[in-house]
Parts: sequence; structure tokens; C-alpha cells
Amino acid sequence: MRRRNLHRLVGVFIAVAVAAAAALLWLAIVIQGPEVAEPSARHIVVGIWDVLYDAEAPSLWVILVAVAFALLLAAGVALLERRISNSSRRSAGRVTVPLAPRGIMEATRGTYAGPVTVTVVVPAHNEEASLPSTLESLLHQSHRPERIIVVADNCTDATVELAHRAGVDVFESVGNTKKKAGALNQVLSQILPDQGLNDVVMVMDADTRLDDGFLASAVRRFTEDRALMAVGGLFYGETGHGLIGQFQRNEYVRYAREMQRRRGRVFVLTGTASLFRPTALLTVAEQRGKTIPGRLGDVYDTAALTEDNELTIALKSLGGLMISPADCTVVTELMPSWRTLWAQRLRWQRGALENLGAYGVTPQTVRYWAQQLGIGYGVIALSSYLLLILLTVFALDAWVLFPFWLGVGLLFMLERMITVWKGGWRARLLALTLFPELLFDMFLNVVYVKGIIDISLGRTADWKHVVHAGPRASDEASS
Amino acid sequence: MTALPTGILLPESVIHSDLFALLAAFVAIHTVFYATLALSKILPKVYLSDWVRRRHERTETRSINPEDPV
Repeated sequence: MRRRNLHRLVGVFIAVAVAAAAALLWLAIVIQGPEVAEPSARHIVVGIWDVLYDAEAPSLWVILVAVAFALLLAAGVALLERRISNSSRRSAGRVTVPLAPRGIMEATRGTYAGPVTVTVVVPAHNEEASLPSTLESLLHQSHRPERIIVVADNCTDATVELAHRAGVDVFESVGNTKKKAGALNQVLSQILPDQGLNDVVMVMDADTRLDDGFLASAVRRFTEDRALMAVGGLFYGETGHGLIGQFQRNEYVRYAREMQRRRGRVFVLTGTASLFRPTALLTVAEQRGKTIPGRLGDVYDTAALTEDNELTIALKSLGGLMISPADCTVVTELMPSWRTLWAQRLRWQRGALENLGAYGVTPQTVRYWAQQLGIGYGVIALSSYLLLILLTVFALDAWVLFPFWLGVGLLFMLERMITVWKGGWRARLLALTLFPELLFDMFLNVVYVKGIIDISLGRTADWKHVVHAGPRASDEASS
Repeated sequence: MTALPTGILLPESVIHSDLFALLAAFVAIHTVFYATLALSKILPKVYLSDWVRRRHERTETRSINPEDPV
């Protein structure tokens, strides 16, 4: 109950904080006095065209303050994050951070617990359409996993039969009402006690395919670093689904690029495919209900809507070292319609906020709080930008070019295009047109606002399951 | 590009109102702010730690095999 009330406060806190920041800026402008826009449009003749342009640009102090603020904020968040991850890396405090590298190194010094083996756990709830290609991608890895277990959770289709036919193990959940997290807890409680120090466990979604080399790279990293607790995958979107598919692919390409620029420092160990050393999962289960939220003995917190995000914060809170290498890539399914995308993002958004509510403000969650506040402020910034454009278009009786702002627009176009360069020409073309992606961002912003409102009003959140209908996924979703 | 009649919904006086000037300044600051962030995303990233002498060199192997070199 206490947890629920805290969740509500998260929504209110973020809404108040970003509104206050925007109001402060507005006030500062009012006090300073806005720069009076004198109608200073001039004519020039370019070829056969008569062009109206306005040389208006913000004053130097406005530009300098905005640039300085952006740089300070970006550097501040990056430095803070680096400092926190380094301090936990060097920490020897066994009680508060039992997974910190120093402690793990001490505990495993001089012992060889055998080579790294991989046991893959695939939670599946009616995944007959996508499971075969998931298993195929696993079985064709250059480093084949030692064991694959399909966790059939309340399946009413051919999931179990298909798994048997592929020659992998099947674990059927018993009386599970806690969705994916509950099913995973059941299977992990059975297999973890028998795993050695280097027998890593991979949790992989049934709608995902591993790129070749994923497991070989992960195994190499676990072999080279005994303190490494988790390796996360970088996900790319599958092909198809037209424009809405391209929007999502662009998003994922940018995320992967950002991860590379962070040199693999993990933001979220994706639920699509991540590997864990058994010590990490066992320690999480031991600490639940004590230093981290959840029920003692559970690896996954069944109250969390986004269990991968929650487990990442849990491992970070316990000091665990983790990485998302650029060569561990997976292809994941995309949401085929606006309705399913809305449901998916609302769950992600709501889950992220609830996890922050559960953990509160700690050094390990500061980066996630900053991200939520950043998105919240982005909603105000993008809305006011679009409002200004609309007002201008509807009130001017002639097109006026603003060279300064055209230059800034060009910079945004370049940034959009360069950050999706790896996605191919379709990705670059969509990014170059700028406004479709801005509108897509606005769609995500509306989802964000809905998440904040829902959590603040204490509305219950739901776990939507997307029904896959074969290679050409349908746009159906059921709750 | 010729001057196209576009003032279809609102009077042009909107553009010259105080409120519009405030909104324009508000948006201008944000746009420059986000443009700076956009520029930082285009430029190659500088890793300060690469330039600073490392204080914490490894003193022992981190491999799962104790016999492996540091």
C-alpha cells in the first residue's frame, strides 16, 4: 500500500518539477523583457522569386545561456553517472553492495570453477508463431548454448509441442498468476541452485532472434572478467511494418549508437536477451525485501511492470558490473500498429516510473530520474515549439524565411540523419524530413503524459500481450 | 518562392503581441539548448578518462582462470 502511494508521488513530483522549471524560465524572460520582434522582413530577388526574409536572431546572451546550460546539464549527468559507477566498482562494502567487483574478485581469487556455460531460459506465453525462429537463432549460434529451456506459461497453443519438436527442454509453470516474472521465478528457483559460478543464465524473449556471434562474445567476456555480473543485448527492429516500423527502427538504431558511445555502459539490461552470472541472480533473490524491493527469494519482482528495467536497477543497487557490448545484437519484433505501440510504450513508461517509486532517489537511480525529468521537460519544449510554428503559419500572410532558424533546423536535420546512418537509406530519408519524426516524438510524449496522469491518479496498470500471427504479424492486441 | 497568402485563421497582430514575443523567446532558448545537444551527438565523443593517467591499473588477472595473464 505504501508502495502504491509512493508511485503516485513520483508522477506528481515529476509533473511539478518540470512545470516549475518551465515556469521559472518563462518568468525570467518576462522579467528580462522579451526581445521585441520588429517587423523587419526584407525582400530579395532570387532568380524569378521574390523572397521575404528576416535576419532576426536571439541576442548573444540568450544563445550563450542556452548553450552553457545544455553543456552543463549533459556534462553534469555524465560525470555524476561515471562517479557513481566507479565508486561502486571500487567499493569493498560487502553488506550494502555485495556484487561490487572488489568483493567478487576476493571471493573467487585463485579458484577455477570450470568454463563458462550458457543455459537459455525463454519465457513464452502462446508464442507458437515466433518461437521456432527464436530457437533456430539459438541453435545456430557459433557458440551453441549448453541448455535451452522454454518456459511455457499458461499456453493454450502449440508452444509446448513446437519446443519439444525443436529438441529443447520445456518447463511448464504451475499455478502462475504473476505473468512473465512469476514464470521466470519458478524456473530460476529450480535451476539456479545447481548452477556453478560460471554457468551463466540467459533470459531471452520468445519474439527475439540472436545475431550470430552474440553468445560467443558474451562467453568471452564472462571468461575474461570474473567480476562481470551481466551482459545485455543491443536490440534492432525487424524489417517491415511500413512507416511505423521505420520510426521504431530509427529509435533503436539511435539507442544502439548511444550505447556504443557510452562504451557499453548499461542503461537497461534488455529483457529481449541478457545473460547473468548465477551469483548475481541469487544475490538479488537474497536481498529482495531487505535492501531492494520485492519478495524474499524472488529473482524478478512480480510487482514491476517492466521487469528488465527493475532487475537492472536491482543489480546496479547491489554494485554489479554489467555491459552491453556492440557485438551482442538481437533482432526484436516491432509493434505493428499505433494501438499496440501505445500499449507497449505506456507499459514501459509506467513501469519505469513505478520502479523509480519503488527505489526512491538513490545514487544508482539518479540517472533514471534525470531521464524522466528530461522527457517531461521535452514535452513542454516540443509542444511550445509546435504551437509557435502553428501560430506563425496561421497568422502570417506571407512566407518569411529566418536564416538563423533555418540554420538551426539544418543542424537538427543533420543530427537526425547522422544518428540513424547505420539504419540504411530509408532510415536516413525519414530522419532528414525531420517533421514526421518530431510528430512521432510527440506521440511518445502523449504516451508519457498519459503515464504520468495514470500513475498520479492511482489508475491500475495492465500488462498487454501482443498476439503474434506468424511472420506477418497482425495488428491485434489483447489484454 | 513567392509571397503566399497564409494568414487564414488568425490576424497578423498575433505575431506582434507581447504574449507571442514571450513564447518566441521561450522557444528560442529551448531550440538553441536542444541544438547544442544535437551538435554534441554529431561530434565524435571525447572520453576524458583516456587523457587522464590511469590510477587504477590492474594488479591481478580478472579471468575466471587464475593462471591467465593480467
